[in-house]
Amino acid sequence: MASIEQHFPVPHRSFSVEIKGNKTDVVISGYNDHILVIATQIGTMGTMLQARKEEGMTSEPTFHVSVIFGKRDEPMLTACARQLIEHMSSSGSARPLVLSLGLKDHSMETLKGVVSSVLENRIW
Amino acid sequence: MDSTTSPQQENDAGGLQVHCFTDVVDELTLHFQIIRLPKQIYAWIGCNSSKMGHLYAAAHTRPSEGVSVSCVLGGSSDNPGAGIARRIVLKSGLNVILASNIPKNSPMIEANAERKMMEKLVQLGYTRPRSEPSSFMINPTAGEIHR
Repeated sequence: MASIEQHFPVPHRSFSVEIKGNKTDVVISGYNDHILVIATQIGTMGTMLQARKEEGMTSEPTFHVSVIFGKRDEPMLTACARQLIEHMSSSGSARPLVLSLGLKDHSMETLKGVVSSVLENRIW
Repeated sequence: MDSTTSPQQENDAGGLQVHCFTDVVDELTLHFQIIRLPKQIYAWIGCNSSKMGHLYAAAHTRPSEGVSVSCVLGGSSDNPGAGIARRIVLKSGLNVILASNIPKNSPMIEANAERKMMEKLVQLGYTRPRSEPSSFMINPTAGEIHR
């Protein structure tokens, strides 16, 4: 289990998991105005997405997810960000998410693995 | 110039080296976070707050010797973060993703933050010769980083 660094004003959690045989390094940082999640198998940050909750007129929350850097034609990456922001919102966190995914494959199994590992080690 | 540095925290249990430290310069608190990825560096500079601020990506553009910077989240080319990201790439040869909440029109803060960041990168041994290839996809004619 990864440890949380809290003396520094930005708590973070750094750990490594194996997803479909690929070593995946994950860092979660809790800034005052954002949550940053980096999950990489390729040594770079890869594609970056932003996900945020939008205040609407209905009782049901809506979310806006967009690619801000990298591949814009990978719907599974967007789905991964959406899952995470929905979990964050349901647990009471109002901070937007910046998600960085540098993955060897974009299969559902891999993205599910990323989501579950982040939720198991969440810092919000 | 008054400068004190709080003990740095390092955590590489997860495979990625994360370095966090705080410096006080001229009664201003600067927080630094450096995450070393195998082919890239992510860095955050916080000025008196823990807001992530704006996000920039910078890398060398081949085949020229120039450096291109892209505003990934918020910010603009005249924000301090863009300039710091560009100069870190120039001085270190690294591909950099930089987040910063340093306010505009603060040249002394910008200079101090950049200097401390470079000192730390050199101390950690993260700088590399510019002859090594970069990992970004670059459009050499437009000089832009592909998003």
